[in-house]
Amino acid sequence: MAFAWKAAGITYNRYLAVASRAVRRSLKEDKRLQAERRGEMDLRFAKWESGRQGENKSLASANEAAMAEAASGGQQ
Amino acid sequence: MSSLRFARVALRARPTAFRSPLQRRGYADVASDKIRLSLALPHQSIYKSTDVIQVNIPAESGEMGVLANHVPSIEQLKPGLVEVIEEAGGSKQFFLSGGFAVVQPGSQLSINAVEGFPLEDFNADAVRSQIAEAQKIASGSGSEQDKAEANIELEVLESLQAALK
Repeated sequence: MAFAWKAAGITYNRYLAVASRAVRRSLKEDKRLQAERRGEMDLRFAKWESGRQGENKSLASANEAAMAEAASGGQQ
Repeated sequence: MSSLRFARVALRARPTAFRSPLQRRGYADVASDKIRLSLALPHQSIYKSTDVIQVNIPAESGEMGVLANHVPSIEQLKPGLVEVIEEAGGSKQFFLSGGFAVVQPGSQLSINAVEGFPLEDFNADAVRSQIAEAQKIASGSGSEQDKAEANIELEVLESLQAALK
């Protein structure tokens, strides 16, 4: 099966996250406020090289960069 | 000679009234017209091994209805409406954001999704305004990823809008 989002380098995990975000935003006000808390994610990581901690990076923006690279890398 | 006589005695000693309830219990144990449904989200299980009559699911390979004794299969789900026809005869509808349905041997069905809500929990106005916004991004001049994500949202929202009508 060919999916349009795959050509843009988007992973299945990201696809599900985007789809679920749209579902949460469509809920009635009271349910939406509760549900939207489940969509929040803020993870940071750092690479350790020769005993030193590298720069702190956001996982979300690193994922975005990786997906952009996968798309321009010409993966079908 | 004596062993034959013993066998005949044993046959006579088993009353028919004792045999029939045993047979009936075996038949009821099978319950072959029901499918055992588990519908689970990461934060909640909507159905937990509940016997139901039929489940209609929006698989990527097409809409399908699952009854008891369905052939085992794994289906990726589109964002869409899952309909559960319960034992009592009523039916319930849930909008799922996407996930997988696994039909297991022995009339068991497991559906896993990220988000799932009954239709009455949705706000049609919120859907409409999100569609307008997503269309703007999809036809705009953003990055390829932004446009692809807007198209994913459009797929979800249009399916939801069709279900709400």
